Amino acid sequence: MWSLLKRYYRPLIVGFLLLSPLVAFLLGGRKAREPNFVDRAVIAVASPVQQGLTALIEGGGAGVQNYLDLRGVRQENDALRLENLQLRAAVQALGESRMENERLRKLLNYAEAEAGPEIPARVVGVNPVAKLLSVRISSGEQQGVFRGMSVVTPDGIVGQVIRATGGYADVALVTDPQSRVAVRVQRSRARGTAAGTGGGPLKLENMLRTEDVEDGDLIITAGTDGIYPPGVVVGRVTNLEKKEHGMFQGADIVPAVDTSKLEEVLVVGSPYSAMAPGSTAEGASK
Amino acid sequence: MKFLVSVALALALLTLESVLVKQAGLELGRIDVTVVLVAFLALRASLLEGAFSAFSVGYLLDLMSGQPTWLYTFLAVFIFLVGRLVPTFVEVRGPLAFALFAMGADVGHSLLATFFTWLTVKEDGPGALLAELPLQVALTGIAALALYPLLRRFEASQERPAGLLR
Repeated sequence: MWSLLKRYYRPLIVGFLLLSPLVAFLLGGRKAREPNFVDRAVIAVASPVQQGLTALIEGGGAGVQNYLDLRGVRQENDALRLENLQLRAAVQALGESRMENERLRKLLNYAEAEAGPEIPARVVGVNPVAKLLSVRISSGEQQGVFRGMSVVTPDGIVGQVIRATGGYADVALVTDPQSRVAVRVQRSRARGTAAGTGGGPLKLENMLRTEDVEDGDLIITAGTDGIYPPGVVVGRVTNLEKKEHGMFQGADIVPAVDTSKLEEVLVVGSPYSAMAPGSTAEGASK
Repeated sequence: MKFLVSVALALALLTLESVLVKQAGLELGRIDVTVVLVAFLALRASLLEGAFSAFSVGYLLDLMSGQPTWLYTFLAVFIFLVGRLVPTFVEVRGPLAFALFAMGADVGHSLLATFFTWLTVKEDGPGALLAELPLQVALTGIAALALYPLLRRFEASQERPAGLLR
């Protein structure tokens, strides 16, 4: 036995190196393992380098861009001044609407939605494997970011935290094929699901054929998935397909956020661990 | 080429790729730098050293993917073993031949990764990924051309000089 092992130890070791990850993959499937101490150590080494490189490249690019931007800055200033005036007027009008909204909410005894923490983060790198569209951000467990929290920008929804370690976290993008978000048409309040397709537009699914939805409608998060807060912009409806038969109608959603050009994001909401037992996680990556 | 050099190089290349992909604003296109490294190992490393190195390189890629499932660890060792068979049929010498070899390895790696992902996820998503495959293979070929001199230099630094005692 010992002589056999001694003779065939090379193929045996290579066979183990080949088959053990395959067995682990087939048994675990798409379920990612929790980060162990080796994973954490590697991420702790690689992420600061990623952040440094990103800062270096962006700093160099910003220097060149600043010089180019100086040209025509006066005309831009004039245009911005005008736009500022218009926006101030709009803000005043919105303030009135907000006051009115608050009064009406009180009349209707609406429960106030509890605003969670908003943790800012910078995108330091992109996942080097295209099978899962994700980015790495510069906030992690130390800053209060945990798995299951949602990530947004002022323009709209970005994705969901799938792994958090010391000072960094990985965020699966809404464009990833495994992503599902419970959504609503802002105008008609019709409900559906936005599914990622792996880049490009999202797919509007589970929208009943009888629901009122039109090309150009704004799609917002419904908040019923327990992941994304309600009312965050997802995108606009395009290529609406009203079928003659079947239960559902189909459409594309052009995302409000270009996920290939992300720089700063906000992490909001509650982690999985804070979710009530039995609550749904429709919006989670499947 | 020693195990630790491979691991350090893989970590550095993956980090650099992650930043470059972000800066270039690529949505699905990636540069498979780890496949280039594994292809080089298949041509130059011994069986055990190469298998351990490929395993580690795959582990790092798995980890950097954000959703480690061991798939890329398996694929790295598999591509390494298949890659070792290729020089028995064709001669791979020089940067251009190496780039073509790395591109072939990348096609195999991507198709297998797509197949195994489909096997577990059963989504109708592979179409978009396969559409980006030509760009990805071309970028990997360019990366192989660029990395070949560096890898050769690392390999040369690891070789023992013929000493006077021999």
